[in-house]
Amino acid sequence: MNHSTTASGTEPALRSAAAAVADRSDPHLVLANRVEQLYSQLPLGIAATVVIGLIAALELREGRIIELVYFWGSLLLMVSALHAALYFAYWRSARKVEEGEQWLRWLGIGALAAGVTWGFGASVFFPSHADERQVFLAFLLSGVMSGGIPLYAASWPIFAAYAAGIAIPFTYVLATFGNRLFAEIALLVPLFYGISVAIAYRLNRVFHSGYRLRHAYGKLTEDYSVLNQRLEHQLVELEEARRQVEASGRKLALFAERAPIAVLEIDAQGIVTAVNHAAELLFGYAAAELIGGHVKRLVLPEFHADFDNNWKQLTETREPLAGIKIRNPRRDGIALVCEWAVTPLVNPEGSIVCVIAQGKDVTRQIEAERMQKDFTSTLSHELRTPLTSIIGSLQLLNSGVVGELAPDVSELTLVAERNGQRLLDIINDILDIEKIESGRLTMTPEVLTIDDVVREAIVLNQAFGERFKVRFQASGELPGRQVSADRKRLLQVMTNLLSNAAKFSPEWGTVDITLEERGANVRVGVHDRGPGIPDNFRSRIFSRFAQADSTPSRQKGGTGLGLAICKRLIEMMQGRIGFEDRAGAGTTFWFELPKHA
Amino acid sequence: MPARPLTRICYVEDDEDIQRIVRMSLERVGKMTVEIVGDPTMAIEAMTAFRPDMVMLDWMMPAMDGPTLFRQMQLRPETKALPVVFITAKASQRDLDELIAMGAAGAISKPFSPRDLPDQLRAIWAKLP
Repeated sequence: MNHSTTASGTEPALRSAAAAVADRSDPHLVLANRVEQLYSQLPLGIAATVVIGLIAALELREGRIIELVYFWGSLLLMVSALHAALYFAYWRSARKVEEGEQWLRWLGIGALAAGVTWGFGASVFFPSHADERQVFLAFLLSGVMSGGIPLYAASWPIFAAYAAGIAIPFTYVLATFGNRLFAEIALLVPLFYGISVAIAYRLNRVFHSGYRLRHAYGKLTEDYSVLNQRLEHQLVELEEARRQVEASGRKLALFAERAPIAVLEIDAQGIVTAVNHAAELLFGYAAAELIGGHVKRLVLPEFHADFDNNWKQLTETREPLAGIKIRNPRRDGIALVCEWAVTPLVNPEGSIVCVIAQGKDVTRQIEAERMQKDFTSTLSHELRTPLTSIIGSLQLLNSGVVGELAPDVSELTLVAERNGQRLLDIINDILDIEKIESGRLTMTPEVLTIDDVVREAIVLNQAFGERFKVRFQASGELPGRQVSADRKRLLQVMTNLLSNAAKFSPEWGTVDITLEERGANVRVGVHDRGPGIPDNFRSRIFSRFAQADSTPSRQKGGTGLGLAICKRLIEMMQGRIGFEDRAGAGTTFWFELPKHA
Repeated sequence: MPARPLTRICYVEDDEDIQRIVRMSLERVGKMTVEIVGDPTMAIEAMTAFRPDMVMLDWMMPAMDGPTLFRQMQLRPETKALPVVFITAKASQRDLDELIAMGAAGAISKPFSPRDLPDQLRAIWAKLP
């Protein structure tokens, strides 16, 4: 079918495209179409057969054997009737497509029968007639044979069978007639047959590919409409997604725009690409002045090296940085301290799309922290210096180094010294708790033998106990057990617990100090024989300024901060502290510290 | 421990009341000889003249603070070897550790007890090489 095509560059491509399209067709459907075409032409064939048969019968009737003409005519009518029956059966069938090959076979048998009938007529009537009739017959047969080409073109084997039915007997008759002219014609008939079959074959190919293409394009159209629907659906989804992205973009922009912190968008080279209003206010530059310039404009020159290091780290690791304090100059020259969170936005390929820097002005906060530290330090010095003089003077008076005092005077100077000491304790406690709560109290942990610490604490507080006529007595030694703790702070806790116990013990009483192991901990207990802890005070005993409201405990002195400090110190040393009623009477205060491995 | 007992103390302190108490404590309780210097800028001359066994320095003074004076003393051969004890109201453990690291012989926090001060100084003296 491609014999007429010329060789050109695009043709192989077109051909393969056409083949690809044709491949999309369903061969069953193509066959069914061809069968349908064949059957649709059947009435025409039947009508032609009947008409030509009648004319032939009339013409041949004048010959000698009239019975033979009748027999042949009836045979032709019967074949036509069978064809008609086949035609009706086909159109009434519900399985035309599925049984396409079957219908094609039936039609082939019918065509062969028709061909044989015509061939039979030729072989019977040709020898028995005179020259004119023989020409008539030859003309008739060639007409019937060539008429089969368009009729059966949709299936060349059917045509081949039909034409063979005519040609073979006719050729035989011509060849055996004994006439030289007829013998020559007998040689030409198979040639005509061959040419006719070849033409039928070519037509068959044309029909076949025509049907295939029709189907393929039908299928393509179908596919395209499905594709179109899908595309339309995706388009709607895309549009929706675009709207959502736009909405969240607007939301984000609004967040940045209204945020009270400065927000800068910077590209990977450090060039500012967008700033929010807070950034304009903070640095005193208009957005247009900052955009397009390097972000280093907002960093004091002496910190450029630090900035470069941070920026290098950011662009290399692509990890966000937070809590970076940078000194940023305002437009008016005043330097601010800002705390920055810097986040690189990285695309799936791993390169930085932009960097978002969020900065908060912490200048005042840092100044306040410094002032608070200075204030505490100054307070500490300014309060202790006069107290040093007051307590020192009273101690010298009371020690008798400047001479004996009259009993009344001595009593008053003792009261003054005691209360000076108390004031000093309060100041120390307030400074301690302030330091603990502002996170400025640091521990210096060392490995301590718990026995030694307890013994040292008892020695240090012996004098205090004697003042209250109370004796400290240690029991349950734990030789060699060590803890990791700040020695000075641990002694402070012990002193607090021992002095509390002494204050609340009856005169001539004993305060027991016990040591025991509790799993991975060492527990130190301080047991007194005092009045116990009032119920309404238990829950807030470790709170700041906690003191039982009863008059006697107030009279004992103290700041109400001691136990609060003890609790925080012990917790800073990874321990815990508590209290419980002592069997009999009194209270046990205890703390536990993890044993040093 | 040095072979001779601790007898001569030079104390640099701007507060006159504390000067008096320390003098009384060291002279009356401790039976020591005391030289008090109120102006830290004159301290090195005073020490060179007095030749103390030990120097006590106040931490916070208006003209020059104790640590600065201590550093200046270390630059001068005549005061370089003198053991120095700081008297401080700052009293943070870290500050005290810092002083010891700088080469101070010891530190006593304010307020101190004038009854115990001589003994505290003698204890520090006893630990010296």
